[in-house]
Amino acid sequence: MTAFRVVLVVVLAVVLAVLPLFGSDVLIQFGINALLLAVLAQGWNIIGGYTGYPSFGNSVFYGLGSYGVAIAMVQWNLPFAVGMIFGVVLAVGFAFLLGIPVLRLKGHYFAIATLALAQVMSAIVSNISLAGQNIGLVLPPLNNDRLFYELSLGLLVLSTLTVFWLTRSRFGFGLIAIRENEEGAAVMGVNTTLYKVLAFALSGIFTALAGGIHAYWITFLDPESAFDISLNVKMIIMAVFGGPGTVFGPILGALVLSAVSEVLSSEATNVAGLFFGIVVVAAVVLMPRGVADVIRQFRVSGWRYFIENLKAHRI
Amino acid sequence: MDLLAQVLINGVLLGGLYAVMALGLALVWGVLNIVNLAHGAFIMLGAYLAWHLYTYFGIDPFLGLPLTAIVMFCLGYAVQRGLLNLIVRAPMFNTLLITFGLEVVLTYLAQLAFSADFRTINPPYAGNSIALGPLVVPLARLMAFGVAVVLTVGMWLFLLHTKLGRAIRATAQNLVAARLYGVEPRHLYAMTFGIGIGLAGAAGCLYGTVSQINPYIGATLTAKCFAISIIGGLDNPLGVLVGGLVLGIIESLTVLYIGATFGDVASFGVLVLVLIVRPSGLLGKTA
Repeated sequence: MTAFRVVLVVVLAVVLAVLPLFGSDVLIQFGINALLLAVLAQGWNIIGGYTGYPSFGNSVFYGLGSYGVAIAMVQWNLPFAVGMIFGVVLAVGFAFLLGIPVLRLKGHYFAIATLALAQVMSAIVSNISLAGQNIGLVLPPLNNDRLFYELSLGLLVLSTLTVFWLTRSRFGFGLIAIRENEEGAAVMGVNTTLYKVLAFALSGIFTALAGGIHAYWITFLDPESAFDISLNVKMIIMAVFGGPGTVFGPILGALVLSAVSEVLSSEATNVAGLFFGIVVVAAVVLMPRGVADVIRQFRVSGWRYFIENLKAHRI
Repeated sequence: MDLLAQVLINGVLLGGLYAVMALGLALVWGVLNIVNLAHGAFIMLGAYLAWHLYTYFGIDPFLGLPLTAIVMFCLGYAVQRGLLNLIVRAPMFNTLLITFGLEVVLTYLAQLAFSADFRTINPPYAGNSIALGPLVVPLARLMAFGVAVVLTVGMWLFLLHTKLGRAIRATAQNLVAARLYGVEPRHLYAMTFGIGIGLAGAAGCLYGTVSQINPYIGATLTAKCFAISIIGGLDNPLGVLVGGLVLGIIESLTVLYIGATFGDVASFGVLVLVLIVRPSGLLGKTA
């Protein structure tokens, strides 16, 4: 990374950090949502983008983080920070307990097993009385959107630094080796099971923290929304749209797609979802490696880039 | 004891329907290596088609089934030929995403066209049932089950004994070798996807007669179809039938003995267990 880029990223982060001092309430609320989605996309990037395991179970981490905060604050009257730690402990415990059997699966099978886990967790939580069963829990309100904004931004910076560390550490190279060729990685001395479970847990930590912040911000959660599969699909789409396995791609994807769906849902409510679907289909056909790759390649090959993508995978 | 027998009957009847739903998904997955996340949405479209045929033209859903299947086949052929053939060799993730996008598009189009309210197909015999001693067999469900078994066995015979069926199986095993024997992959892929979607349309007809339809049923149905395909394996339609029956019975028993909210837990719990013990399905070949 050149010095210019480092300066650019720092300036952008500072601009984002001082934004709530000038922006309107609506803008700050949009910002919290977009930043939390960016954290989720970045968290998914660790297991899906770098390790190559398309997890549909990250919404479980999100739900555990939300419920960790909610149970600690509502049932045990503990402070928010302790709730966040409790949520992270739950997520890491889940990652180790179920990661070991599930991460043995590959490809579609892994995707579907994790999808099923999310469904199962939602149904189990809705029968636990400590978690408020079907009705859910109501947290004490805290009207401080700026605080939530800065917390989300801080979490995004932390997760991005972690991903950046992955690109230049032994651990990160081990994950990339697993993505490219798992048997090869094992032969080269990578402890694949340990690395995969650690990546799953690391991804889970950030996802759980984002869930905790969201729960305290919204002040209400129920099993349906906490373990929502479509949230998991959203993080995947954002990461893949931006460019999986890159440091800034998932953030770019999350911010661009959040802005697009925000504009659409206020301007053209009826067709917003339709347009979202069309964007996904078109993105997969025209730019399968994400916006980050388009930015890199477009200067070289221009419009031919899209035509080459169109030709690359057809039969 | 009667209660248990009744629940088992319900489970078997439900399982037959599940099998037809999953048949198309398993076929497309096995041959094209695409897990079609829009499969449930196509089932939903088939159900709406049958609803319109019945409500506006008075065509019985069981008689309208072939027509629905043919219309859906054409739709599936066009989608594969025009869109999915472009990405069929892309990494698995992109195929998942594009079919997910397709699911979103179909769901929203259905919502715009049909509105979000619940509908049912209610032919005059819908409330009838056959009494077997103390047990009750609902007629519509029994007919749906019969059609399901006929379709599954027909599919099995079709794959084993027709030229097209052999070409499909050959392509599933080895695309390069199949090409050398004169299989045109673009057409064959489109035919396979079309047949899969045609089966989804037929399943939609049956689903509409025994359950409520709205534009949002697709995602849940896709998830169930996954579970069934995994339990039954992808090689053989008869395996899918077994998978459907297993899932139907497990769900009915869970609802009876543990509670209605655990119905989905049981089916997906079984799915995870099957995957961990035998990653290629209970009846599939070992990896």
